[in-house]
Amino acid sequence: MEHTSFGDQRNATFSLTEEDHTLANALRFTLNQDPRALFCGYSIPHPSEARVNVRVQTTGEPAREVLKDACQDLMLMCQTVRSTFDKAVADFKKNP
Amino acid sequence: MDPPPEPVSYVCGDCGMENTLKPGDVIQCRECGYRILYKKRTRRIIQYEAR
Amino acid sequence: MSSSDSGSDEAMTDAQQQKGFVSALEMPDVPSQKLQPHLELRRTRVLCNADAPDNTDTIQYSGAYASMGVDNSLRLDQFANNFRVEVKRLTEDEMEFDMVGIDPAIANAFRRILLAELPTMAIEKVLIANNTSVIQDEVLSHRLGLIPIKVDPRLFDYLSENDKPSEKNTIVFKLHVKCGKKGPRMTVTSDELKWLPSGSELLKASEDSNSSSRAETYTSFTCSQDSLPEFSSNPITVYPDIIVAKLGPGQEIELEAHAVKGVGKTHAKWSPVATCWYRMLPEVVLTQQIEGKTAEVLKKKCPVGVFDIEDLGDGRTRATVAKPRACTLCRECIRDGEEWEKRISLRRVKDHFIFTIESTGALPPEVLFTEAVKILEDKCERVISDLS
Repeated sequence: MEHTSFGDQRNATFSLTEEDHTLANALRFTLNQDPRALFCGYSIPHPSEARVNVRVQTTGEPAREVLKDACQDLMLMCQTVRSTFDKAVADFKKNP
Repeated sequence: MDPPPEPVSYVCGDCGMENTLKPGDVIQCRECGYRILYKKRTRRIIQYEAR
Repeated sequence: MSSSDSGSDEAMTDAQQQKGFVSALEMPDVPSQKLQPHLELRRTRVLCNADAPDNTDTIQYSGAYASMGVDNSLRLDQFANNFRVEVKRLTEDEMEFDMVGIDPAIANAFRRILLAELPTMAIEKVLIANNTSVIQDEVLSHRLGLIPIKVDPRLFDYLSENDKPSEKNTIVFKLHVKCGKKGPRMTVTSDELKWLPSGSELLKASEDSNSSSRAETYTSFTCSQDSLPEFSSNPITVYPDIIVAKLGPGQEIELEAHAVKGVGKTHAKWSPVATCWYRMLPEVVLTQQIEGKTAEVLKKKCPVGVFDIEDLGDGRTRATVAKPRACTLCRECIRDGEEWEKRISLRRVKDHFIFTIESTGALPPEVLFTEAVKILEDKCERVISDLS
């Protein structure tokens, strides 16, 4: 992964390879929900290249930390989804 | 020098009979006289991509 | 804010909901922790008006309601408390469930992963020894590729470019059918594909035929797959009854098909789902009491039977919303003039997803979903480790 920031650590663009809207849009959501993120967005420079650029600008914290926390949040959300889903399926199988 | 030409067998387009032809032979089925003969498929295995 | 204040708030909310808008003069001076009802409606509902849907975006920014004193940031404990899953239908290869309290960005990620990034096994290489049928070799191979194979893909590895096909990454099937010289035409179905647990049986044509080593086949299995514990009791099969080809008298097909692991974004034949989609929960609200003849007309208007008629006694009847979930948002009920648009409000709940998964048979649908969630987790983990 490439990481570019000029001057300060608050503003950065991260270039994720082998990723697409699937991860980028989900990350954009969690980043937007973080009060420390001043701005975030993503773009896919070319449709035939498997790459997304994620732009993060923060209120003070290093952008990389905020992005890392966004990934962490998304992962914890996934875990919640998985356990809730598994429980719902088990309940349904017990008494449909 | 070229080796002597081998006889090649063909399949008749009408009756399906196998015909062996040498260079210079008349292109005609020996069984039914039909004039369209087909070359047989190769015995080699051909590999395809299932896409 | 005191309790009496919030009490009067509630009363006002009801009045506002009746009117459908709120005057700035009626707004409280001190921001409450709750959004104003008209904003709450815009935040949580898509409004399906007669001309076009309105208010379709989701408000994601954490500070969107900062001026109202409402925090819109994500708190995981809050998410965990609100998130709900309810299974509606579950069969061997199909399921429908409700997923409530999640953003479309995440729900869509799950859908995209299910379609394009969950691996399955599919026929990729076809070795044709003989094919005298009318269907061309290329077309036949393409048809074979699309046949779903009933095997757990998690038991296999990917076959990379410089790997040799082995029992760990390849499944071999044989198809040898011949139609009798006399007699009717024959239909070849997918169940004619026979699993070869010991690998390929076709010999590779070698340059020097009198070499001392054993003739090479197209795969190099070190052991038979049916000796492995996971396949010994359940042989690998394909989805039966799919027509592959038709044979005329005397025609023959002899081939071997090699299946490998792959994902749907490479080719749709590797997609583990026939379809996978979600829709937002429809919400049908009667903004006015609809009585008598009008109620009859309304009930007739709906092609999917969303509305029903309730007897109020003393000879009066009233329209009710009986099956909002069936609503397809065809908007037939709000056509025929503005008065209908005023009577009924069609909405969609933004965070309530009716998710449907149709599996092709490799894995049951509930396993597919959990695997999809795991893949999204792996993606996050990859980014985290790249950042650290």
